[in-house]
This record gives sequence, structure tokens and C-alpha cells, in this order.
Amino acid sequence: MDKLKLRQICFLFAAVLPVAKLIIYPSTLSYYAKNDLLLSAGLNFLAEGIVIALVMWLSSRTDRTLFDLLRYTFGEVAAKTLYVLLALFLLFSAALPVLEQKIFVMQVLYENVPSLLSFTPFFAVCCFACVKGLKTIGRIADISLPVFALAFTALILLALPHADFGALQPAGAAGVRGIFTGSLFGLPWFTECLFPLLFLGHFRYEKGGMWKVLAAFAAGAGAVLLYLAVFYGIFEELSILSQYPLAHIAKYSTIYTTLGRADFLFIFSIALVCIFYLCIPVQLSVHCFRKAFPHLAPVFPAAGANLLLLVLAIVFNYSFNAVQTFMMRYAFPVFLLFCYVLPLLSLLLRKKPKAGRGTPEQNAKAARKKTARRRAARIARLLRRQERREHE
Amino acid sequence: MDKSAKKLGTKLPDNVKLLKDILPAEDVLVYTFRTADGKSCAAVYTDGITDKESLGELAAKPLTLAKAPKSREEAKKLLYFPEMKDADDAESAASEILAGNPALLIDGIAGAVVLGTKKIAVRAVTEPQTAITVKGPREGFIEDIKTNMGLVRRRIKSPALRLDTQKVGKYSKTVVSVVYLEGITDARIVEEIKERIAAVEIDGVPDSSYIAQFLAKKPYSLFKQVGTTEKPDVFCAKLLEGRAGVLVDGSPIALTLPYMLSEDFQSAQDYFVSPYRATITRLLRLAAVCIALFLPAFYVAAQLFKLQLLPFALLMTISGGIQGIPLSPSLELFFLLVVLEILIEASVRMPKYVALALSVIGALVLGDTAVKAGLVSSPAIIIVALSGIAAYTVPDLTGTLSVVRIAFVIVAGSIGTYGILLLTALILYYLLSSDGYGTPLLAPFSPLIRRDLKDSLLKTDIYSLRSRPAVFRGKNKTRLKVRNRRKDNG
Repeated sequence: MDKLKLRQICFLFAAVLPVAKLIIYPSTLSYYAKNDLLLSAGLNFLAEGIVIALVMWLSSRTDRTLFDLLRYTFGEVAAKTLYVLLALFLLFSAALPVLEQKIFVMQVLYENVPSLLSFTPFFAVCCFACVKGLKTIGRIADISLPVFALAFTALILLALPHADFGALQPAGAAGVRGIFTGSLFGLPWFTECLFPLLFLGHFRYEKGGMWKVLAAFAAGAGAVLLYLAVFYGIFEELSILSQYPLAHIAKYSTIYTTLGRADFLFIFSIALVCIFYLCIPVQLSVHCFRKAFPHLAPVFPAAGANLLLLVLAIVFNYSFNAVQTFMMRYAFPVFLLFCYVLPLLSLLLRKKPKAGRGTPEQNAKAARKKTARRRAARIARLLRRQERREHE
Repeated sequence: MDKSAKKLGTKLPDNVKLLKDILPAEDVLVYTFRTADGKSCAAVYTDGITDKESLGELAAKPLTLAKAPKSREEAKKLLYFPEMKDADDAESAASEILAGNPALLIDGIAGAVVLGTKKIAVRAVTEPQTAITVKGPREGFIEDIKTNMGLVRRRIKSPALRLDTQKVGKYSKTVVSVVYLEGITDARIVEEIKERIAAVEIDGVPDSSYIAQFLAKKPYSLFKQVGTTEKPDVFCAKLLEGRAGVLVDGSPIALTLPYMLSEDFQSAQDYFVSPYRATITRLLRLAAVCIALFLPAFYVAAQLFKLQLLPFALLMTISGGIQGIPLSPSLELFFLLVVLEILIEASVRMPKYVALALSVIGALVLGDTAVKAGLVSSPAIIIVALSGIAAYTVPDLTGTLSVVRIAFVIVAGSIGTYGILLLTALILYYLLSSDGYGTPLLAPFSPLIRRDLKDSLLKTDIYSLRSRPAVFRGKNKTRLKVRNRRKDNG
């Protein structure tokens, strides 16, 4: 309990989670939804917002972790199995952003194309973060908020004068099919609604917590939508080809004649927050593994998870497009199941343990309560019978 | 049976022999004299740390003029010492003798009277070299713990101020005092500090830095774990905020716990200037730390991997400067940073009269000639010099910054900008997972404690600092109440 604060979850939604949608997602989305990319992304945000609201409502009803709820409902073995599946899914969902970041780093942060070795130290950093546990996710959110807010505002301010928002007109030109395809294929970038489910029981719910988290989520979503609008306003028809808009969106500003590419400082800042973002699903995956195998030292699942991602990065070093296509076109049901259906189903889980499914202390407490209840009922029955006799 | 645990009897020669057996060192002397009625007395003392004049005037003289006392209580009445205590066994008498307090033995009286005549050469209370301020108190701690305790007590005249002392060191028997304000400092912190100190079994404690390592949660850490100060005013201010302090005999550096990184960005002078000025100065220090850490690394990364980082005109100037340099930018910077560290190390160690010559050799001859010889470029020298100077804006972090800076240059030279970002992320993860005594190292920024931001990198006016920092979890939270505050007073 209390590994995270509600404020940190808010910051996470406002400042850390939006960064994932600033790299390849805009150009991918504009491929399907064209000038209706805002509508398409808006649909995704709406769906995510509903799931987050429901999970926050669940957190107001219980102070137990998801693992506890699963154990109360299905038993220890089933809870562990589901957690292993969740851990594997989180690793699976981390693969695309990691590969995306790798490509971004190699294309944008270097003049020449470096070897994969330049990116591999990321896995060491991620492994270190995983060992440190859930607490670091919240604390990194505290650090990320001012960094992201400053860098994002600066980039948008530099880019805004060059955006022609008329390019977003007419609304609905891509058609319903285009908009929905964009939303459906964009699911790999909208996995964060699963995170609050895994934070259950690790933070203390405060009054109005759901609204605070939703407001923070709305702020993050607003930032992404603004970015998408500016992006399409600048690149228009070329937006499909602008794969790393973060690096180019602000480069047309006139101040660079005297300052150089000062926007790189802000891009680096967002890239730093992106490192933190990439670590989160892996950290949560390690957290799930540790829940399933509590006797395992954290370093082993952390090293294993990062090793697996490293192998993926090596294997798919030159085939990012294939991975992206697979994730978007074929794997979206998996994302739908784990990120949207699972949180909704979790609302149906038992909040209190069935006899014999809690910890030994909980079981003993439940047994004591049950005995006391029975005794009270028996006494009440006897009293009623006595009263009836007296009346007769 | 251990002879040091032996009781002191009534026979003077036996008692003197017993003590000399325990303390055979040549600087432990025995001063013998007789009372007016001819009874033998002896004072066993350590030469050099005992005030012999006081011993003669206040102990020997009254006894030689009077009849022999019949008990220790009677003897004490004859002596003029304000500080006296009894010692029944040889061990306690011996430890007092070694601390500078002589043991007075009188024939026919069991035990000894310990006289408080300790006299140790101490230096004057002067301004510490590591924390010079333009405005504000200029006193600094010295090596004598009693003086240091007095300096603290002078500033906090409250019965709540507690100085719990214990001796550490099998041979040195160094006095270590845990200082705290009862009711303000979290009792759990004080208990943990005491437990950690009591658990130490070491031969000797030459300095407080030894104790600091035992108190640190991660003694192997590159980053500081325990706060240090040489100024009693800063020490007392930290106690009043809810921290605990540790004074160690023989060390002018006091320790404070729990420690937060933001402390090092504060200076005593910040509290004697306007809050705006203090805030700007603190932000300047943060900027200087960023310059010290990142400037050399970004210079290397920009040259090797991302030339667009630099404005075109500057790029042209730099490219003109670096032409013909045989070393790669990372090697050049690494070499210069090592030279800088050597110069700093040498200038600290060498006698003052040579320092001027060194600065001429180091700064002018070495730097200028190296540039003229084409070994290093002038932009690299400027970058290193700027980084070196910037690191000294936060003196307590200089050592850490030097090491981390070199690490940044290495990763920038090998991986480029992304390496710098990754190392930054790694350091941040490390720092924000480092908690000491229940206090996060990066508080009040991570975890964010809004109330404590008022005196962190920002400095608000004194009226806003009504409560003690929440991060220390003390029960007494209020530190300022202003009655009848008039609006026209600000």
C-alpha cells in the first residue's frame, strides 16, 4: 500500500503517458484517418477515459490489489496464471514502443546511422528501474511533469505559428471507416488504461480521486490532440511521410538562425520522459511476475524481461514496419482484450475473500466474524421466540 | 580476572601501582605530595592534556595546608574544583586519566576523586573555509566537542535540546554526541542514529566522516547520504527544522540527518538576503550544476554525433579551433578534465606559497602552450574551465560532480546524446529510489511535497515558513506564529 500517490498517477497521465503518442503514431494515424486524425484519436481517448474512470471507481470500492481480487474470485493458482499472462502481455505491448524509440533515436539523435549498440544501454537502465519497483513509477512522474510541460509547451509555441489549421477541414472527409480504422489500428498506442488496474491497492484513494485522474488524463489527451492538430496543420498531405514529427515540428522557427537548433534541447527533454515511459510497462510486467512468483528476487524477472526485449530489438532491427503492421492489423484484439475488456471484467471480481481464499489472517478474521454473526442470529432467534411465548 | 576491573583499595602505593599497570605509558605521570599531617597523596595524570597549574593550585595546595581528610566527601570539600566525580574502580579512573582528568588518590581512602582539569589545546572559533558568507554569522565549529556543544547551546537555550553522548572506538574512545530537539525531531530517527552508532565496533574515529559512513544507508553510494556543516547557525537551523545532528570530538564537521539533495543548493546567506535574490541564486546554482555536468558531454556529443545542436556561426568558430587537433573530442575533453582534477588536487594539498606559481604554470603555461602546440583546442579549454568553475558553486557536491561529469563525457563520446539521456535517467532512478531515515533524497521534488517547496530551490518570505518541513514527519509542525501582524508591515 502507498507505493504510489494519487497525485503521481495524475502526473503520469498528464505528462508521461502522452509522450508515446508523439513519435510515429501521428503519421500512422494520418495514413488511415487523414485530416480526421483528431476524431480518430479522440475516440481512442474516450474509450480509454471510460475504462480509467471505471477502474478508478473500482479503486474507490476496494483497497485490495488486482491480485487479491483475482485470488478472492478464482483462487491462488488462477490469480498467478492471470498475472503471468498479464506480465507477458505487458512485455508484448512494450515491444512496439521500444522498437519505435530505437528507430527514433537512431534517426533523429545521430547525424549518421549508428549501430544497435547505441540503443542497448537502455535495457540496462530499464532493468535497474524494474529492480527498484513500483515506487519509482510514481516518483518519476513527479520529475517528468515539469520537464514535459516545459519542453512540450516550448515545442508547441515554436511550431504553432507555422500550422495551418484549415488543413483539418472538412471534418469527416476520411469517412467513418477511415476514422474507426484509425482508432482500431491505433490501439497499440493506447494501452495505459490497463495501468491503473495494476496500481489498485498500491495507492490510497482520496475523495474525488476519479475526477482528479480523469482531469489529468484529459490534460494529457488535450496535449496530444493539440500536437496532432499542429502536426497536421504543418505537414498536411506530407504528414504520412513525416515519421518523426517530434524532431521536425518546430524546426521552421526563425529563431534558429541565431540559436542553432535550440529545439533539440526540448526534444531531448521529451526523449528523456520517453525513456521513463518505456520503462513503465516493463516495470509493471516485472511487478506481475513477482506477484506470481513472490520468492523470486526482482533482479531475475527484470533481467529476463529486458533480455527478451533486447532479443526482439536485435531480431527486428531492420523490420520495424513489419512489427508495426502486425501489431496494428493483427494484434489489436489482444490489446482490446487486455486493456479494455479485462479492466471492465475486473469490476465483477469479488472485493472480499471467500472462506479459505484470503491470507491465513484474513481467513481467521472471516471465520471469527462468521461465528459471531451466527451467534448473534441465534441469540436474536431465541429472543424472538421468548417474546412470542410471552405474548401467547 | 581482568585487572582493569579491580577496585581501588585504601593503600596508596597499591592503587598507584594498579593504575600504572593499566597505564604504563610514559606520558602518564604520578605527582605525589603530603597533607599537613604527613599523609601521602598522589595525582595520576596524563601529561599534555591536563592543566597542571590548576592541579597544583586547586588540589595539591589546599591538601598540603590541611589535615588529611577521612573520606572522599571530606576531601572534595577541601578542593576548589567545580567539576569532580568519584571513581571506585581502576578502569573508570584510567579512562578519566586518559581523557585529561587526573585521579586523586589519598592514602587510607578507598577509590579516587576525579578532577576536571582537562586542558586540550584548541584553536579559536573562526569562520570555516568551506562556508564563507558575506552576510551572517561567522562562527564555525572547531575540533573540541565541548566548545561545539556550547556553540549549539548558545543558540538554542531550551531544555528540549538534547545532547546524548556515547563513546565510540575501542582505542580512541571518541565522544560522539547525538543532538536533537525533543518533541521536534522524529524519535524514530534519533533511535536509529543511536542504534547505528552503538553498533559500531571500530579501533578509532579520527573524524566525523567515519561516523557518516556508518549512518549512511548506502555507504558505497557516489552521492552524499548525510548532511554536513561547519557552521553552528546552519546546524541549529537544521535542528529546528526537525533534523537530528551528530557532533564528533576531534572533528569540526557536524553531521545532520536526514539529508536531502536540495540542502546543498542552499547557503546560509540565502536567509540574510531578500527571498527573490535567494531564489535566483539557488536557481543559478542549479543551472551551474547542469553546466558542470552536461556542458562537456554535450560538446562532445554535438561534435561527434549531432552538429545541428550548435548555431552555424559558433560551429564555424569551433571547427576553426579544432582543426589539426590529434585527439578525438571525447579523448580531448577527458584528458583536460583529468588535468583539471590534478590541478585542483595539487592546489589543495600544496603549501600556499607555491599555489601562485602553480596557477601560473597550470592556467597560463600549460593551457596556453597546449593550445599553441596544437594538442588541445581552445574551445575545449573554455568548456572545461567553465564546467570546473560551475561545479564549485555547490561546494558539497563538487566531488560527486567531478566523477559524474567524466562518466557523462565517456558515454557522450561512445553513444552520443542518447547516452547522456540514458545516464541522466539512470542517475534519476538511483536518486529517487534512495531514501534515508524515511526521507527521500530528492524531496521535496520527488515525491512532490508542495508545502516544503517554499524553502527548497525556491525561497519564499519568512511569513510563509510557518510550518516545519513535512518530510521529516515530526509531531510539532508549527515553527512560526506572528501575532498582531500589521498589513503595512508587509
